[in-house]
Amino acid sequence: MSAMLEVRNVSKHFGNLVAVKDVSLRVAKGELRAIIGPNGAGKTTFFNLITGFFAPSSGEIFFDGRNVTRLTAPQRVKIGMARTFQITEVFPELSVNENVRIAAEVTAGYALSPWLSAERGRSIEQTVAGLVERVGLADKSQRAVGELAHGDQRAAEIAMALALRPRLLLLDEPTAGMGEQETYQIAGLIRKLHRDESYTIILVEHDMRVVFHLADRISVLDQGMLLADGTPDEIAADRAVQEAYLGKAA
Amino acid sequence: MRPGGDTTAALRGAAERRWAVLAGIWVVLIAAPFWLPLVHGYTSLGSRILVLGLAAMSVNFLIGFTGVVSFGHAAYFGLGVYGAGMMLRYVTASTPLALVAGILLGGGAGVVVGAMICRSRGIYFAMITIAFEQIFYYIAYKWDSVTGGYDGLRGFQRAPIHFGLFTLDIKHSDLAFYYFVLVVFAIVAGVMGFLLRSPFGRTLLAIRENERRARFLGIAVDLHIWLSFSISAFCIGAAGALYAMVNNFSDPSSLYFDLSGDLVIMAVMGGIRSFWGPLLGAAIFEVLQDYISSRTVNWLFFIGLVFVIVVMFFPRGLLGMFQRRRAA
Amino acid sequence: MLQLVLFNLFNGLIIGAFYVLLALGLSMILNLSNVINFAHGNFLALGGYLAYVLIPYIGFWPSLLIAPLLTGVVGLIIEQTMIRRIYGRDPIYSLLLTFGLAFMIQDACRYIWGVNGLPLATPPSISRPLSTEFFFLTGYRVFVVGIVIVAVAALFMFLRFTRMGMRIRAGVFDLETVSALGINVKLLRSLNFAGGIFLAGLAGVLAGGQIGLNPNMGDSLLLPSFIAIIVGGMGSLVGTLLGGLLIGVAAAITTVFFASASDTVIYVIMALVLLLRPRGLLGEEGIL
Repeated sequence: MSAMLEVRNVSKHFGNLVAVKDVSLRVAKGELRAIIGPNGAGKTTFFNLITGFFAPSSGEIFFDGRNVTRLTAPQRVKIGMARTFQITEVFPELSVNENVRIAAEVTAGYALSPWLSAERGRSIEQTVAGLVERVGLADKSQRAVGELAHGDQRAAEIAMALALRPRLLLLDEPTAGMGEQETYQIAGLIRKLHRDESYTIILVEHDMRVVFHLADRISVLDQGMLLADGTPDEIAADRAVQEAYLGKAA
Repeated sequence: MRPGGDTTAALRGAAERRWAVLAGIWVVLIAAPFWLPLVHGYTSLGSRILVLGLAAMSVNFLIGFTGVVSFGHAAYFGLGVYGAGMMLRYVTASTPLALVAGILLGGGAGVVVGAMICRSRGIYFAMITIAFEQIFYYIAYKWDSVTGGYDGLRGFQRAPIHFGLFTLDIKHSDLAFYYFVLVVFAIVAGVMGFLLRSPFGRTLLAIRENERRARFLGIAVDLHIWLSFSISAFCIGAAGALYAMVNNFSDPSSLYFDLSGDLVIMAVMGGIRSFWGPLLGAAIFEVLQDYISSRTVNWLFFIGLVFVIVVMFFPRGLLGMFQRRRAA
Repeated sequence: MLQLVLFNLFNGLIIGAFYVLLALGLSMILNLSNVINFAHGNFLALGGYLAYVLIPYIGFWPSLLIAPLLTGVVGLIIEQTMIRRIYGRDPIYSLLLTFGLAFMIQDACRYIWGVNGLPLATPPSISRPLSTEFFFLTGYRVFVVGIVIVAVAALFMFLRFTRMGMRIRAGVFDLETVSALGINVKLLRSLNFAGGIFLAGLAGVLAGGQIGLNPNMGDSLLLPSFIAIIVGGMGSLVGTLLGGLLIGVAAAITTVFFASASDTVIYVIMALVLLLRPRGLLGEEGIL
């Protein structure tokens, strides 16, 4: 199977601090990959390297066969790498529909359009209605995102990411700070996107139940290095991983 | 894919309400010359409020709908005033050409200044807009031979408009002038309203709401802010041109930053999240200012107090207090 | 000719010194509180008038310190009751608030002390010309420059060497971290605000001694002070200092050669700086 994302020997230094050290990994098309690791393992830095928020100190990143190492974050979004943020980034005073619609219109190249033909407008509206429905917010589509519960805000953010027509969806701790109910809601949504719509997804996640429930494969980072890489069963049985996580796993 | 039945009904309800409000606003505006005398107003006060309201709405295109604070928009208003005044005074007594001159002068300056400042943000953006405004004020003030300097530019009058078969005598009839102003107001406000409901307009809202997110969606934020600044300058230039015709006078204080403050407080008083709020704010502020200055020589103190009270106690403005949220 | 150039250079230095005093206070408040204080010029006038009231009782020298201090106290009260409530909100509200306060203070001064100009008595010891050849070197003008140098030096020493000063500088760079370290940011902002107003009050006393008092005396200084900040680079007090001196001196030198363009040159400098160095001469990365 061909790789959607391939990371080759990537390192990142901040001054003397080595945050990520010589990490390589391949994520296949249609795969759901979880990246885990104890606090300070370099997960967030690694995620920011993939999404283009930082440039790596050395190494290369390929997206669907294309070298994207030097592309900026917005450029990576344009070619199909969409992300969500640890702290929800939405347009709080605008409705769910408007949030998703803005993403859809920008993706369709209408960011500077002072008007849309009726046909194009309808097509956008259908796309938006479809996305909002898929993330389970159809009955809240007219409400301001800022007024919604945490889980619904996250769902709206995922709908925005989907509106960018990504080939790879990058989710940064999608259930961070959520209660039981909301975690189920978001985990269910991610599962649906992966199983039913075969999105390739990479997620960084703290909640081990979510990770072992969802992931096809898991990569474990520790102290900036790739400690292990395998199926959930392999990872659960891995001695090194158990040591790194001793007492930390949920 | 079909949204739930409830949502459709709610949507239709919201749309109907919006049309009802819009129709109500236009009925009030069209009928103004007839109801104004009943509340001790007069037609030319109506024209004045409409013009200042349009200016405040233009400022609010930037402040309320792009989230960028200009405190120097009187510059483009004042350039509109002088553009129209100079056209009428020096070139030709043509109202349409005067209007065009005002729009181009105000808007053109906005395009140039906007390009220079569209990379800065927040309070610094506001500060630079003030400094640029001061430049234009200074030019009008110093360039005596053309602008009339401190005394302003006099010696012109708005001209009747000829439509071939008939003539609209806005020169002698306040009523005719009011409707002329209302038509221009409708066109300019219509352009702004139309843009705000377009994909481009939504990118402006996105920038206001969360610039970082907007950037990572792929919106060229600086470019969009520049465009928004320019559009708002063209619109306020039109208001300025009308203002020259209201007074038959180009006054250097129409370029001064005190007027910028007035326009911003009008927008805030009415509600910066609402499209029509600034018009309401302009009406209230003008009436209040007339009233206060007729009652006390220390009117400036009380105008200042109005600013303070609005900021401290009514920051959302009148319409902001009623409508918790604009229907989508 | 030399005399003329020197005369104007010195004039520029004086006017630049006033810009500096006003702009430094504005800049302090802008950097730490993110507030443009439109009322700054009116605090200047207030400082002058307070000295006018105090001088008959306590004399000039004590008034030179007490009047600015009282102005700072008035500033502190206004900050405590009004301005602190809009910190962190959209900049539009701080702009409107200080804009309204400017009107109120200006009209209050006019109400209390009248529309007409009032003279501010300065001691004869510093009012004499120092030289017959360089007649413009009156003792008072030299004195103004001296006081401004002392005040500016004191300010920079305060910011560099005292704990409070270092906290203020740290707060300009990263308020969140300063706050996370348990430093009372509200107190920091209040004192910083009062300090900025103190400088405005001091400028008021000095300006009153030179040109007399009137309710609008700060207006003509306020906008050049904005420009000094923009030219010097927002976020940098040293930049503000340079900016103020630069535009003061540039305007004065222009007077010698092309009198009618003396004000214009300020705006030309600003436009050039914004074009060539959008962040200003010493502006911080990331602010623009």
